[in-house]
Amino acid sequence: MADLTIQGLTKRFGGVTAVDDVNLHVADGEFVTLLGPSGCGKSTTLAAVAGLDRADGGRIQVGGTVYFDAARGIYLPPEARSCGLVFQSYALWPHMTVADNVAFPLTLRKVAAAERKRRIDEVLALVEMERYAGRYPHELSGGQQQRVALARTLVYRPAILLLDEPLSNLDAKLRDRARAWLAELRTRLGLTTIYVTHDQIEALSLSDRIVVMNGGRIAQIGTPQEIYERPADPFVADFIGTTNFLPARVVGDAPAGGRALLELADGQRLEAVAERAAPGGSRVTLAFRPEQMQVAPPGTAPEGGSVLATRVTSRSYVGGNWQVGLELAGAALRLEARQPPAEDRLDLWLPHAGGILFRGGADVAA
Amino acid sequence: MSLAMSRPEAPPAPPAIPRAAPIQYGTALLVLVLVAGPLLPVLLQSVLDGALYDAEYNLTLANFARLARTEGFGLVLLNTVVLAALTTLVAQFVGTLAAILFGRTDLPLARLMSEFFLWPLYLSALVLSFGWYAVYGPAGYLTMLWQSVLGEAPWTLYSLAGMAVIAGVSQAPLAYIYCLSSASITDPSLEEAARVSGAGTFRTLWRITLPLMKPAIAYSAVLNFTVGLELLSIPLIFGDPAGITVLTTFLFNNGISSPRPDHGLVATAAALMLAVVCFLVWLQGRMLGNTRRFITLGGKATRPRPFRLGGLRWPLFILAALYILATVIAPIGVLVLRAFTAFLSPMIPLSEVLTTGNFVQIFEYPVYSRAVWNSFVVSLVGGAIATALIGLVAIIVHRSEFRFRGALQYLALFPRAVPGVVAGIGFFYAFALLPGLGFLRNSIWILVIAFTMRFIPAGIGAVAPMLLQVSHDLDRAARVQGADWWTTSRRILLPLMRPALVGCFTILFISFFKEYSTAIFLFAPGSEVIGTTLLQLWVQGEVGLVAALATIQVAVIAVCVAAVRGIFGVKLHG
Repeated sequence: MADLTIQGLTKRFGGVTAVDDVNLHVADGEFVTLLGPSGCGKSTTLAAVAGLDRADGGRIQVGGTVYFDAARGIYLPPEARSCGLVFQSYALWPHMTVADNVAFPLTLRKVAAAERKRRIDEVLALVEMERYAGRYPHELSGGQQQRVALARTLVYRPAILLLDEPLSNLDAKLRDRARAWLAELRTRLGLTTIYVTHDQIEALSLSDRIVVMNGGRIAQIGTPQEIYERPADPFVADFIGTTNFLPARVVGDAPAGGRALLELADGQRLEAVAERAAPGGSRVTLAFRPEQMQVAPPGTAPEGGSVLATRVTSRSYVGGNWQVGLELAGAALRLEARQPPAEDRLDLWLPHAGGILFRGGADVAA
Repeated sequence: MSLAMSRPEAPPAPPAIPRAAPIQYGTALLVLVLVAGPLLPVLLQSVLDGALYDAEYNLTLANFARLARTEGFGLVLLNTVVLAALTTLVAQFVGTLAAILFGRTDLPLARLMSEFFLWPLYLSALVLSFGWYAVYGPAGYLTMLWQSVLGEAPWTLYSLAGMAVIAGVSQAPLAYIYCLSSASITDPSLEEAARVSGAGTFRTLWRITLPLMKPAIAYSAVLNFTVGLELLSIPLIFGDPAGITVLTTFLFNNGISSPRPDHGLVATAAALMLAVVCFLVWLQGRMLGNTRRFITLGGKATRPRPFRLGGLRWPLFILAALYILATVIAPIGVLVLRAFTAFLSPMIPLSEVLTTGNFVQIFEYPVYSRAVWNSFVVSLVGGAIATALIGLVAIIVHRSEFRFRGALQYLALFPRAVPGVVAGIGFFYAFALLPGLGFLRNSIWILVIAFTMRFIPAGIGAVAPMLLQVSHDLDRAARVQGADWWTTSRRILLPLMRPALVGCFTILFISFFKEYSTAIFLFAPGSEVIGTTLLQLWVQGEVGLVAALATIQVAVIAVCVAAVRGIFGVKLHG
């Protein structure tokens, strides 16, 4: 096991910068997830660590070994690194049995036959696939193939484990089971792991830390709680599950940690806690999760929150709950409610605390 | 002890000498020598005043002027272009019609007839010419029958039109394949939409199906024109006796069979031909986007709903059956029959002339049996060597970080633009020129080398599509786990390519087995192959032996094609 240091990593494809000055340190035994939409640079970063792509700039070091250093012209080919990479497609060799697939890296390392057999048995038992050693990959289900792919990687004890969307080819039910299994396995193995995914639930439930990437840059690094509760910008908030953004203007200066009075485009006003000082007149965006917003019963006093008049644009039954689309001062909001709204108008209750105030207009990719 | 406790292992020790670079550079160099080796002498000789192997010579452009002034050369060029154009016309007309009839309508027995229709593709034009001669030649079976009943036969094969019909029929399968594959990838709903909006069968065919085939028709027309320019056997057999010379026979007569060959003139004409064919192949590439001169292995095409011919179904069937009978079954059948008879004529009962004497003679005379044996050795051993080289080239081009892989791909596909005659002359010069290679000159290995160069593109065409279907993750996985490029290629890629390599070997075996246009410039006593012996026997007038030898070639190729299709269930074109 070893720690991983990435410094100033840059990779360009033609005129497009796929990875732009990424800096990251992963401690020994840490499980870090690269999270982001497709094309954000997470897979390119992983490929650079594994040596499948040669980066254009920066430095990658695992333990005491420099994998890549653009300044010094160092580039280790993938076979000279000690990475374990599980592919999204599993990449099991179709002409070899499960046992042959797992034996391949050991044969390369000239492990003696007896020792080889012992280790194949051990690793197949670890992934609960010992009964399938003689099968060919096409005779296995997707979940079983994924386990074999992992076994083939663990069997040679790599210095660092790289997982490229390993669950994305499984169907929803299987994915939940595989995720739980993977979480259990990682606590047993304690391997330094980089996990790439676009699924925030996988990221939140598995990781020690999450790296949210956007447009080839790191948008935020933090623990799952930090990422979820204090997203650094509207992009992270949107990607991690917050869907409601209200553009507003600050009325009068608000101190850091104090309560700011905000005015919407249609003149309605509300209050929100500002973590950082918000100067009067500046443009801000207020973000809420669906579960933080409530329907205000008519005639009640706004207690610990603000009540705003909205227009109902859609209602759809999503099983147990109703999802209600609202329009407020030109912004589209989505609300979960037990009952569908009876009328076209609805009073919305927003808490003073709990929302997140970002500076500037909301510029979130839908 | 468990995986969790264990320390990470070091990656496997790298091999003492890095293997990727020597293998990649070595292969590239080999292909470079193979392709440039025969072409450079031709180009060089075309600008020299003396022979290439003379002690002294000067650079000159006089050869071009001399060639232009050569008496009758203008007519040679005209003949060449007219023959190629007529051939293309016949091939395109027949091929397109067949593609629609066999591929898109409810014609009875369409599948069976399309099988027969493709046969000329598998056989050499040389064998087909003999077959046509045996049926429609001056002493041919049908000609005699006609004469005995109706008087003078109204056709002759010894004319540009006659040759164009033979060549056109033997090249029609090319047009057929391209039109059919274009029809199978176009959306059948386009035709159904036309029919739903009220267009009848023939209007839909004329207004929708045929226009959709236009790119395929245009592309295969250029392809067939190119093949028409390169034709050697048909003009040699039917053109020469009639005094009709085309560029290939001009090169053959002045280059090899002439006692004092004018090398400057021959090389200049060859260079001219090379330039024209290069241009045409470039044009094909422009038209297709991705240049593929050889359709090789095709999967099973999805077939849209066939058109109903209605009342024309049976008349068209009879017409198609007559065509197959007249152009494929009769020539091959009569040729085979001729092989088993001492003399073939409609006037003499068959039972009186039946004999196996022709075959006995072939196997009794060492010269002839050696030709058969040599053909097998060249095709089997040469095909295997060439397949290995082609597999390596394909892996380097598509699955390596080799710096010059783009250039290597271009180089490996370049022989498409080299006519067999030009390659033959080029290798002849190259081996005459290089002192150390004299021992090769009189052996069959010179043929293996030349054939390999000629058919690298066909082999690549069989292997590359399969390689492109193998996911990159499979070799990346091996690399990450510690296998270097060569181990990955050997242990992962080559086993996965096995079906494609078998297909490649079969195509090369058939191509080598029937090749003659390159060989006639290169063979020597002792290194004859079936193709060259066929031409020699033809010149000697040994029609029975020609028929027997041709029958052997047809039988071997038929067994090959049937075996590959039976075992691998693949269609084999090319």
